[in-house]
Order: sequence, then C-alpha cells, then structure tokens
Amino acid sequence: MFACIFIPDFCAQAIIRLEPKLRLCPVAVLIGRAPLEKVFALNERARQSGIDVGATKSQLEAWENLVLRTRSESQETSAHAALLDCAQSFSPEVEDTSCGTVILNLAGLEPMLGPLQKIARDLSQRILEMGLEANIAVAANPDAALLAARGFPGVTLIPEGREAERLGDLPVDVLLESFFCEGEQAAHWIETFDRWGIRKLRSLAALPEVPVSERLGQPGVRLQELARGEISRDLRVLEPQSIFVESVDLEYPIVLLEPLAFLINRMLEQLCARLSARALAAQELQLTLDLAGMSSDGCESSGRALPRTFMRRLRLPSPMLDAKVFLKLLQLDLQAHPPGAPIGKVHLLAEPARPRALQSGLFQPVFPEPEKLELTLARIAGIVGEGRAGSVELLDTHRADAFTLRHFAPAEPGSTQSVKQPTNRQKNKDMYMSGNGSVFECDEKFHEKREENVKEITQDEKGAVIALRLFRPRLDAIVTLCEAKPVRMRCPVREDIAGEIVWTAGPWRSSGDWSEQEGWSREEWDIAISADSGLVLYRLVQDKLSGTWFVEGTYD
Amino acid sequence: MYVELHSRSAFSFLEGASLPEELIAVCSNLGMTGMALLDRDGVYGSPRFHLAAKKAEIKAHIGAEVTCASFSPGAEPSPACMGQRPVATEEQCHGRFRLPLLAASRAGYQNLCRLITKMKLRAGRKEGAFASDLDFIEHGDGLICLTGGEEGPLAAALKRGGPQAAFEAVKRLAKMFGRSNVYVELQRHFHREEEYRNRVAIEIAEALQLPLLATNGVNYATPRERELADAFTALQHHRTLATAGRLLSRNGERYLKSPADMRMVFADFPQAIANTVELSSRLEFTLNDLGYEFPRYPVPEGESMISFLRERTREGMQSRYGRADAELKKRARRQIERELSLIEHLKLAGYFLIVWDLVRFCREEKILAQGRGSAANSAVCYALGITAVDPIGMELLFERFLSEERGEWPDIDLDLPSGDERERVIQYVYQRYGQRGAAMTANVITYRNRMAAREMGKALGFDAETLKRISAAVATWEFKDENDALDRRLRDAGLDLKHPRIRKYFELCLAAQDLPRHLGQHSGGMVICEGRLDSVVPLEPASMPGRVVVQWDKEDCADMGIIKVDLLGLGMMAALKDSLQLIRDHYHEEVDLAHLPADDPVVYSTLQKADTVGMFQVESRAQMACLPRLKPERFYDIVVQVAIIRPGPIVGNMVNPFLKRRQGKEAVTYPHPSLETVLGRTLGVPLFQEQLLRMAMITANFTGGEAEELRRAMGFKRSEARMKVIEEKLRAGMTRNEILGETQEQIIQSITSFALYGFPESHAASFALIAYASAYLKCHYLAAFTAALLNNQPMGFYHPSTIVKDAQRHGLKVLAMDVTRSDWKCTLEPSTISHQPSVRLGLKYARGLREPSGQALVRERSLAPFASVQDLTRRVPELRKDELTTLAEIGALNEIGNSPRRYPSAALRAGSDTEKSIERNSYSAGLNQKNSSVPLCLRGEKLFHRRDALWQVERAVRWSGPLLDELPEIDGESPLAAMTDEERLVADFRATGLTVGPHPMQYRREEMKRMGIYRACDLANLPNGQRLRIGGCVIARQRPGTAKGMMFISLEDETGIANAIVAPDLLQKNRVLLISERFLMIEGILQNQDDVIHIRAEKVSPLRITQAETASHDFH
Repeated sequence: MFACIFIPDFCAQAIIRLEPKLRLCPVAVLIGRAPLEKVFALNERARQSGIDVGATKSQLEAWENLVLRTRSESQETSAHAALLDCAQSFSPEVEDTSCGTVILNLAGLEPMLGPLQKIARDLSQRILEMGLEANIAVAANPDAALLAARGFPGVTLIPEGREAERLGDLPVDVLLESFFCEGEQAAHWIETFDRWGIRKLRSLAALPEVPVSERLGQPGVRLQELARGEISRDLRVLEPQSIFVESVDLEYPIVLLEPLAFLINRMLEQLCARLSARALAAQELQLTLDLAGMSSDGCESSGRALPRTFMRRLRLPSPMLDAKVFLKLLQLDLQAHPPGAPIGKVHLLAEPARPRALQSGLFQPVFPEPEKLELTLARIAGIVGEGRAGSVELLDTHRADAFTLRHFAPAEPGSTQSVKQPTNRQKNKDMYMSGNGSVFECDEKFHEKREENVKEITQDEKGAVIALRLFRPRLDAIVTLCEAKPVRMRCPVREDIAGEIVWTAGPWRSSGDWSEQEGWSREEWDIAISADSGLVLYRLVQDKLSGTWFVEGTYD
Repeated sequence: MYVELHSRSAFSFLEGASLPEELIAVCSNLGMTGMALLDRDGVYGSPRFHLAAKKAEIKAHIGAEVTCASFSPGAEPSPACMGQRPVATEEQCHGRFRLPLLAASRAGYQNLCRLITKMKLRAGRKEGAFASDLDFIEHGDGLICLTGGEEGPLAAALKRGGPQAAFEAVKRLAKMFGRSNVYVELQRHFHREEEYRNRVAIEIAEALQLPLLATNGVNYATPRERELADAFTALQHHRTLATAGRLLSRNGERYLKSPADMRMVFADFPQAIANTVELSSRLEFTLNDLGYEFPRYPVPEGESMISFLRERTREGMQSRYGRADAELKKRARRQIERELSLIEHLKLAGYFLIVWDLVRFCREEKILAQGRGSAANSAVCYALGITAVDPIGMELLFERFLSEERGEWPDIDLDLPSGDERERVIQYVYQRYGQRGAAMTANVITYRNRMAAREMGKALGFDAETLKRISAAVATWEFKDENDALDRRLRDAGLDLKHPRIRKYFELCLAAQDLPRHLGQHSGGMVICEGRLDSVVPLEPASMPGRVVVQWDKEDCADMGIIKVDLLGLGMMAALKDSLQLIRDHYHEEVDLAHLPADDPVVYSTLQKADTVGMFQVESRAQMACLPRLKPERFYDIVVQVAIIRPGPIVGNMVNPFLKRRQGKEAVTYPHPSLETVLGRTLGVPLFQEQLLRMAMITANFTGGEAEELRRAMGFKRSEARMKVIEEKLRAGMTRNEILGETQEQIIQSITSFALYGFPESHAASFALIAYASAYLKCHYLAAFTAALLNNQPMGFYHPSTIVKDAQRHGLKVLAMDVTRSDWKCTLEPSTISHQPSVRLGLKYARGLREPSGQALVRERSLAPFASVQDLTRRVPELRKDELTTLAEIGALNEIGNSPRRYPSAALRAGSDTEKSIERNSYSAGLNQKNSSVPLCLRGEKLFHRRDALWQVERAVRWSGPLLDELPEIDGESPLAAMTDEERLVADFRATGLTVGPHPMQYRREEMKRMGIYRACDLANLPNGQRLRIGGCVIARQRPGTAKGMMFISLEDETGIANAIVAPDLLQKNRVLLISERFLMIEGILQNQDDVIHIRAEKVSPLRITQAETASHDFH
C-alpha cells in the first residue's frame, strides 16, 4: 500500500507554516515587481472571501483583513524538505513527486506503526505539527493514492480492488492536473473530454478500451487505466541526500577569531576527508555559529534583541576540496563579518558536488587555479568591501560610468579568443592616408587640409589616447558661472584643483531613466585650469537634478 | 533670423512626437517666419502642416527624409542602369541612411513624390523601402539636399569609412544634386560625437565650398515631449524603456528652439544660421502650388465635355421626368439648366461625367449603386442616374451640394454592395485611370485611449496579462463621464496612480492621444488625377493586392483640393441585391427596387409598430423608441425618421417638439413668419441641414455659398474662430432684416446647436429609399431577406443570433447547419409545412471553418452524398480535425450518421432535416411542437447525435495505416451520452454564435415566472408606472454621447426584446455587472407611453441562465 501526502495551496501554506497566527486569516501570495504585483496563490479562506488568482495588489485594497505576502521560494523549499523529512521518518521508500506532494511506500510498516488508517492519521497529525495541513490518501498503488490525495480532503483510505469505484467521483481535471505538467497538453485533453461529456473519472473509465485506443492512442488508454486506479508502478525512491555536517559544542564560549579558526580547521579537515572518501568536493560551505550569552528568548540582560545564531555561506565558483583554502576563505569572511558575540556552538555544513575534472591544453596559457583565484578575490573583497570586486560589465545606457559588477569568472582555457580588431581610429587613419584620385579640383585641397589634419591628428592621437582618470569618489566643486558658462572653480577637498577656467568645451548634456524613480540628468564641461605644470584638463559635471557641481576626472 | 529646416512630426510614425499643427504653433510663438517638415519617407503630415502654417502666416516648406541604401562607392551610374530595380547588397543594407530633401520648386516636389512612390511600390512585402543613387539622378531636379544629422549620409559615411568616406559621400551628393543644391548640415545637441562630426562637416564644406546650414533635427515641439519620443523609440524597436538602452536619445534637445537660442548655439558659425534664411527664400514651393488637375473625360470628336454632359442630362431628364406633370417638368428643366450653367462656369463637367461613367459601369454590370450625401440635392445627378431621390419633387437645396462661393469640389459618394462588387468598381477605376492615376485615400490610425494604454504599457514593460486587463478596463463608450476618465479606468484595472511609474505611464497615455500610429486604407475614398497622381502625392502599396493608397487621408485630400469619389460598401446594398436573387430563385418573382409600391400598408404598419429588426437605419433601439410616436405614413416620414435620431436634433432639443407637434399635442409655430416656407414640412422644427442653410439665406440674406460656409465653419472643431466671424455676419444680416431680440437668439440658437451634427435632407432621403426597400423585403419576403442579411454580416445593429430569433418569431423556419444540405452561404429550402421557404444556415457560420474547406465539401457532396463521417473525411481532405470537430459539435454531421446503411428505409429519410435528429426531439419536450411531423417510427429509435459524430470524427482523423485505410466503416453508435439542452446551447453559441433551437430563456421560463419576471411580449399590456421585473439575454448596450450618461440595455427573451434605461448613478454602482453579465434581471418602473415601452431600471442583478457565450452588440 502507498500513501500520498498532498498539501493544497502549497505556496500559501509554506508561508503560513512560519507564521502560524495567519492560519485563521485570508492570505494572498503575490508575485511580480512593484507596482505590478499580482496574486499567485491563496489559502482557502482568501478564496472563500472572493479573491481570484491574478488580482492586482491595488484591487485587493477592498479586502480589509486580507494578509498579503510575497512568494518565497526558499520557504517553499524548506516546507517541502520538511515534508520529505516527515515522510522519510515513516518509511524508507519515499518518492519526491512534486512540490508539496510526496508518496511513500507503507509496505511492511503495519506491524511497526499500526493499521493503515492509523498511519495515515499519524502522518496527518505530524504534518499538522509542522504547520502544514495535508490531504492524505492510502491506496494499493501510488497513482491511485496521488489522485485520491489531490481530489479528496482529509484522510482517505481506498481498500484494494475498490479504486475505480472510489476514484470514479473525481473530476477528470484532477487526473489531468496530476499527470500533465504542461498546461497546453492538459488543456487539450480537457477540451476533448468536455466535448465528449466526460467529466468524471467514472465516465472515462467506462469507455470501451479498443475504441478509446483507436481514438486517443496509448496516452488515452493510460489515462483510462489511471482513472480506474489500475496502474501499478514502483516508486522513484528518493535517495537520502548525503549530508556533510560537522558540529562542535563548546564548553566555554569563544570570543576571538583565532581559536575559532583552529576549531574550524579541524572540522574542515574532517569534512574534506569525508568528501574525499566519496570522491566528492564541496560546492558550498555553510558556517553556523550559535551565539552564547543570549537568554532563551534571544535577549541579553540589557533587553536588546540579538539573533541567536550567526550564519555565513560561501558559494564557491567550482567544487573544491582543499581544507586550507576553505579555512582562509572563512577567516577572511569572518574578519569582514565578525559574529559580534561569544560563540557557543559551531556547525559546518558542506554541500557536496562532483569535483571539477579539467585537463589544460599544452599550448594554452596557464590559467589561475580556481582555489587561488577565489582566495585572491576574497582578499580583495576583504579590502575594498563586499560587492566591490569582480568583473565590470558595462550597461547599455547613456548614463555615465554605468556598470555592474559580476563575480570574476575568467573564460575557461581553450575558449575562443577574440582576434584583436584594428581600432576605428586606426582604420580611419588608414583611410585618411589612402585617398582616391581626385575628381574635383577641391580634392587636392581637401587632401592637403586632411594631410595637415592627419599630422595634427597623429599628434592628437597621442593626445587622443588621452585617458580620463576618474576621481573616486568624485570631487565636489564650487563653480562660478558667467553667462551660463563656468569661469572659476575650486574643490574644497583638493586645494590644488582650483582657479580661473581658461578654456571650456561643452556643455555636453545627457539625461535618462525618466520613467524610473532614479532618473538622472547631467551637464558636462571639459575645462582647462592653469597650474604650475601648465594647463590641466578636467571634466566638470553638474547634476541637473540636484544642481550640485563636481569634478569627475582629469584628462591625462 | 533663423528658419528651422529639418524637423519631423508624428507623421514619421514612431519617430516624431508632435503633430504638425503643434510644431507650427510653437514655431509661431517663437517668431520664426518659416519651417520645413521632413517626415520619414513621405509627406504624410504636409497638408496639416501647410494649412496650420497658412493660418499662422508662416512659410511651410515641404520635404522628406528619404531612406537610401549606401551609394555604390565610386561607381558612376550609367543611363543604361536607369529604371532597373536596385537590389541592396547586405553591406548597403547595413549602411542605410536618411537623405533629407527639400522641395525647392513644384518640379522638385513632383520629383520627390515620384521618387518616394517608386521606392515604396518596388519594395517587397515586409521589405524596407529605399532609394538608390540612380533614383536621385532621375528625380533630383528641383530638390535641395542636406547632409543630415546622425542618420544622414555624412554621418553614415563617417562612421563607415572616416572623414575621407564622408568627404566622398558629400562630393557625390554635390555631383548628383548640383553643388548649389547641397547644404552641409550642422546640428548641435550637446554630444561630443556630434561635435566631432560637425568638425569634419565643416572641413568638407570648406573643401567643397558648400554652404553650412544650422538645423536642430527637431523630433518634437517642446522639451516635455522627449519622454513620448523615447517611448515611441522603444516601441519601434520592440523593446521596453528599460531595455532600449542607447537606442533612446541621449538628451532632450531635439525640440524647436528659438532663433535666439539657435544663434547662441551656433555663435561660432553665424553663416550657418544666416544660410537658413537664405535657403528658405530659395524654397519657392508650397502646397498652394500643388498642380493637381482632375482628369478630363474623353468625349467624341466635335463634342465638348459640357455639351456631352448636357446631352446625357437631357436624356436622363427625359426618362426621370418624362411622365411627370408639366409644372414639375418645368421646374426640373429650369433647375437643371441652372445647375448646368454653374457646372460649366466652375468647369466641373468632367467630374460629373466621370461619376456618371462609374454609375453607367455599375448599371451595365448589374451592380446596385446609389449616390448619397449632398449629391442628392442635384437635379443633374438625379437625371444622370447618380442619385435616386428627386430633388425637385422633394424641394431639396442645391446650394448644399454646389455653390460658386465655396470654391471646392462637390462631394459625390456612391453606395455599392460591400464585397466583390465594390471591388470590381474600384478595379474599374484603376483600369480606366491607370495604376498611377488613381488611388485609395489613406486612413490615419491614431492613438486613442485603448491603443495608447496598451502601447505605452508595452513601452514600460508591463506584462501581457496586465496589458489585457488595462485594455478591458479602458472605456470606449461614446459617452464619457468623469468616471470614464483614463485615470479612473486605470485604477479599475488595478493600477495605483500614486506610484510614480504608473503616474508616468498615465502621462504618456495622455500625451499619445490623437497622434498618428500608422497608415491604413480608407474604406472607399478614391482620388483620381489628370496625368500622374504620383506627382501630386506619393503612393504606397496597400495590403490588398492591386491597390495603391495615397499618403493623405480623406480630409487632407479635400483640404488640398484633390477631388475624391467615395465608393462606399454598404452591407445593406449587398443584402438587398442578394435578396432579389433569392426571391428570383425561390419565390420565382421579379422585384424591381426602383418600382416598389410607394405606400405599402404592411410596411407602414410594421414601421409604426417598431417591428424593425434588420431594417436599414430604422432598427436601432432609439429608432424603435421613436417610430411608434412618429408613426410613419408616407415616404417623407421615413426621411424624417432617418434624420431625427441624430446627435444634432437630439442635442438641439428638436426631437420632442417635433414629435409632439406631429401627435397634435403642441401647436405648430415658427421662429419667424418668413421661415414658414422652409420649416413647414417639419412642423416649424428645423431638422435638416438644408433648412439651416435656407434659414440663414432668408433671415440674414446669406447667399447659398455663404450659407454653406456657415455649415462648414460650424462643422469643424478647428474652425471655431471662423464660426464666430460668421455668427456675427448672421446677426448683422438678421438685424438688417429687423429680426431682433429673442427671435434672433432663437434662430441663432437653433442654427448653432445642431449645425455640427445635423443630417442633410438629401442624405436622409437616399437612406430612406434603402430603408423602405429593406422594410418592404422583410415584410414580404422574410426568408430571402433574412438569408441575405445573414450572408452579409457583420452589418446593422444586431448580432445574427438576434436576427435569427426575430425571424423565427415572425414564423420563419431556420434550419440548422447540415453538411448534407448546407452551402457555404445561407440558402432557402422549400418547406413542407409552410408556404414560406425555410432558411438553411450556411457553413460560413461554423466558426473556424475556412471557406476553401467549406467549398470543397459542397463540391464533393454534389458528386455523391457522404456515406459516413469517414467517407467525408477521406473525400474532403481539406477539412482539418478542428473543422470536423466543430461541424460535429453543432450537429452538422448528424444527418450523415443517419445514412441508409443504418436506416435503410428511404421513406424515413425523405425530406429529412435536422428535425429528425434525436436532438430536436429532445429539445425540451413541448418546446418544439413541430416534432409531431417526425415519423413516429423514428421516435423510439436511437438516432445519430452530436456526440456520436464527435466520436466518429476522432477516429476518422486518426490515420489507420494503409492496410485498413480502404476498409469501409459504418458510423456506429458511440458510448457517449447525447448532449443535454444546456450542452447544445453552449456548443451552438461557441461554434456558430447563435442557436436555431429554442431561446435560452425558454428553457427556464417556469423558473422565471416564479421569480416574477415578465416576458417581453407581456409589457405592452401592462399599465404605465407599474413596478416589475424583466429578464433576458443582453443583446445591445449603448451609452450615446447625447444621452447624459444614460445606458440603454436591450434584453431578449423568447417572445421579443425589452428595453431598459439605466441612470448614471445606478450604472456606476453596478458597472462591472452591467458591462460583463450576459443575462440580466432588471427591476424598475415600466414606462408605457405612446406604444413606446421601456423600464427605468432601479435594481439590476445577474441571471444564471446558461454558460453559453451569447454576445451583445455594444456600441463603443
């Protein structure tokens, strides 16, 4: 016999699980980006109060006591994991059918756990204790159990041989939703059965088999068998996930990082040994520290609320197995993010993955070892701050200096290298030099002029290779205007950048993102100021929205 | 001084964000003396630009930005290459640029039009049009070329090959257009890259000794429109504003700048500014000098066009007035002579002959054609057979049609049967005047609330579901109150306007209102020209093969003095024509529409009862509410009836006074004794535009032309200033005639109140003829008329389902679709139980069934009957599975199932139709009394039903393989249960939009009785003021602009139609219910006066009758 656990309104229940007080309230789960959020899922109470899936947030204003929550995939994952845990605590054979649906084999459990009815009730009770309300169905085969759990509320027990009779009352939609993931395919079947007037599984089961096969093919016959509860199959048993966790309870709380590092090192070595024994590496490390000195409700004597645990997670770019590297990474991370309280207990979890297998080419440049690279990056991030190290990727916008930072991940060796293209400027220069024969008398004149210009340009090119060195952070400036042009400026933080402006080019105006809250508008001037070393070129910018001036950079 | 010589309007379709009028208004405010409009690949906006500029006394220069493939480098075009279709290489496609061209002279403008026409017509479908260098060599005369901004030839060459390539490109332009006709353009939008380009441009100009020209490359009139321009850019590239990146403009500098600003921007190049004025003075061409000439009609040698016209008119007069009394004949002769003199004086003989020629063609081809509109005021048109209303007998005002003062072409519209016959007339025009001599007028599709809301939502990246919700919420009713404002509707769609992003969205929606989106084709307007039309306005290919369309819409063509002939497709004309054929075939009678009995009592009694579903122009709910009060007794009453339910008389409060006077409840008085002759026929109440003109002529001594000017001034929103001038003139005239004080005010009031929407009497008379004909055919040949109406849908006020139900209530038998009998169109079949034929629903009513499949089925059936569903599937391979399923679902395959193999007795099958199917038998017992005609032996037998057919179809469409393919199969019984009444209703409405079975309300009548719901037919016998309930299927919703926010709802049940009026406050409270529910129960007070019945709604609630998707005709 098999039992199926099905959690109706799973998305909503996953949220309510962590907020039990919401159980008596109508709850709507939203998805989408503000201001266009809409209802993705509801609990039964919300459905009864007339709310529909797809309603927008502002349409929900009419329901005063409605509780709105944003969809949380992590909470769904946790709820599902808890469901699996629960199922596995009853039976060793568990199938992870879909999100919120689990089937377990009850064969041989009766002597240990009591009659099937009791097992089902116990399951239901256990799940309720976890904060979820489930439909439980027990039947002779997994698919009948699944159909019954999806179609009947509460606990259902179908005696062997009476599947067709019990399932017969279920709508055909339950069958199609249970066995077709693709909406389009399910819709096709629903349409066909609707035309035929087949609305219950009983009617579907009653159709003669051969004519059904002639009309709907083998998928139709299979659906019929499912409707009769006749299909027997083995469970796709979930392999218990290998969990690589090490924990240490400390006799005395640790305050300093050094002894902690010593402890972590030991744990890492253990972990690496375990992983190595199974030919695995670590893809992610999760360090959880239980903080000591907290009262049971998480409050210190001062009354200030502090978290009871401190967690850091290191996601590695590729699976690694080097305890030293792990230790260094964790050390750097803890230096940047100290726990802030004495530590009473340490848990270290490694997420296993298959190790990286790569053979470098003989003629390919040496590629940095990922472990070292990751370490270096972590060190840099430790110095410059989190989120400030990585590969720069320019954004497609007119906004100056607009870029995003991605985790630095150099191309794998062997990937095609782009052939260096001649620059446009070089091409242009070649073009200037290779003029066609003249047709107009003015050709020569233009060429002469261009020759001169090219000479200039060649010098300009040296100058044109001029780079703009950005001041980071930018330098605020005080600017005096005359006829809307800057004539004098000074930077309060850099006394050397000040003086009469002897030359200007501009203004260069740009603005954008007006449809977003973070719209921008700026006016740039290229200016020259006399200095002891001669003229110095700066880029002076006014933010048109705030009116502030600043020096963005200097030209070499 | 500075003149802006490079600007785009919104007629560059998604590349400009201001209307031409707005550009001119800003230009005028900035004190500029001239401006040029260069829209993308066309002169779409130039008439509006020209007219606005004329009004503002600004010189409007015309040009265009022409898309070019990059010129073949160095290749000298040879004359041998001329005329060949240029093919752009891939490289050239990437190097496309826009060449700004300005028309310096009329020749230049003509060249520009031809150039654009040529490139547009040779471009393949979905291929971008482009010009090649050869085109410019052929059509370059009279054009001034600029080197353009960032999309111009200089920028393109500079990007491609650096300064040298740019130099070559400009040199090439100088060679093509002449050095004096090329200006090196400088634009400054404060970009570094642009300044680099300017530096190169200046060097090139110096080297080639070409003048510099400053422009601002304007895309919108004022800085605030930059946001809309950005949104358009995103839409154009199928991106959102967030993902469009650098496709969007860098800043908002492309607005119209003042001369002072431009002088400051180009302070270092004052000659570039000065050159704009110099170039402006060189551009002599304006649209005043269009050079359009209407085609001359070829006449036999020795004849002039006027003498030929006189002869044709004389012939026509003989036939029209030959049997008239002497007085009428004398008046007709006098009027025709007067009209001919004016036609000769205005040199319009050719125009009349051309229209006459079209009508002659229609007559010869046996195509019904009738002139409508003001042409019906002309005795010459009547004599020539263009119109069918006698203007002399009806004393119509000729000046409404044509006057010397007006200085514009007369307007002749021809009504033709919609469909193939109208297309034949259009093709005749093309054939007669040449592909480049005639074209359809354009129809500029503009942004309205719904389209703006959708498109701007797309630009802001709203998801498809949100866009759908917004579209559904945005009101498109004619009447709009404060609750229908866009912001309110967006709130209804669940958008929070307080959110800055949504607020921005709302602003964009408002800004996009009325801007052109794309060009469509007008339904019937054609323009023709002496010589080549493509020298007057560029032509473009229309989506329909064999048609070309001009770049201007109907109004623009009229404004530019281009004469047009409207060949309008009228569904009712097609229905009349089809009716006549069906009458000929099935009633074996010949009906001549021109000689119908003038005073048929059945027609008038039907009209008086407002039993007018399906009749032309008198079937709407408002018309039905008026007919019992007006009680038409003669033809002129129908003319009044057609004209009275119009915004003009309604807004001007003319309807009730007229009806009261007609019923004798109010005395007939006149605003002034002198107006008795004019208003006598309408009992002292002005109802027609002609009366308005005559009133002005009598009371203020206006000439016919001045009166027409008055109508036009009041007829256009944009002529409010003109209206004031004319009103003053009117007052002065009346004062001179000593019509003063209250009388003067009253006359002025009645003229101004409905001048805007008033209906011309001549037009009403033309429509009344068709209305009478439709009423006559409905009263006497219901089967033929109903079949013809069903075959020409969509048309009229009601859905086909209402037409069918109305016909059934009048005793017509409508038979279900049946593949063993139905043709593609609805047909007539002799009935065994009635003298009147029955209507058989045609296959065209099966939704999703393609015409080729349907025709193939009919063709195959004519060879041999279908033995089984399998046989049908095998013999008509064109039928797809979904088509067969639809046919099975609606019972169209039932009769195949009752094949001789299953029911060998031929006697049982004689005269079989769907009556014999079990379904008909099971249409709730007692509903269908005609079941008694079904042979008794069939009653107890299980017959083939829809689900049997569906069962067979499913098998037949699965290919069984070659081995079993030839094996015959008899359609056997299926294990499926027959459909219930409800299931049949759902299937009928889903797959045909109607049911020929009982009305859905009939199944639930007992329940309705218990709920105290009255039937529609009961209401006439109930007293006025009674509180009651009605219920039924919503078949029409209306919220007319003239009804002060009231909504009119028509509910249909098995006995007829009941009407309800919903006040604005009740509507507001029950908006969703009233707009979306398919069946309603309405409780309210019965108003039963003068045989006009309706319920003033006080409470509305939904009725759960059926899941069938019945449809309402909602007037938006």
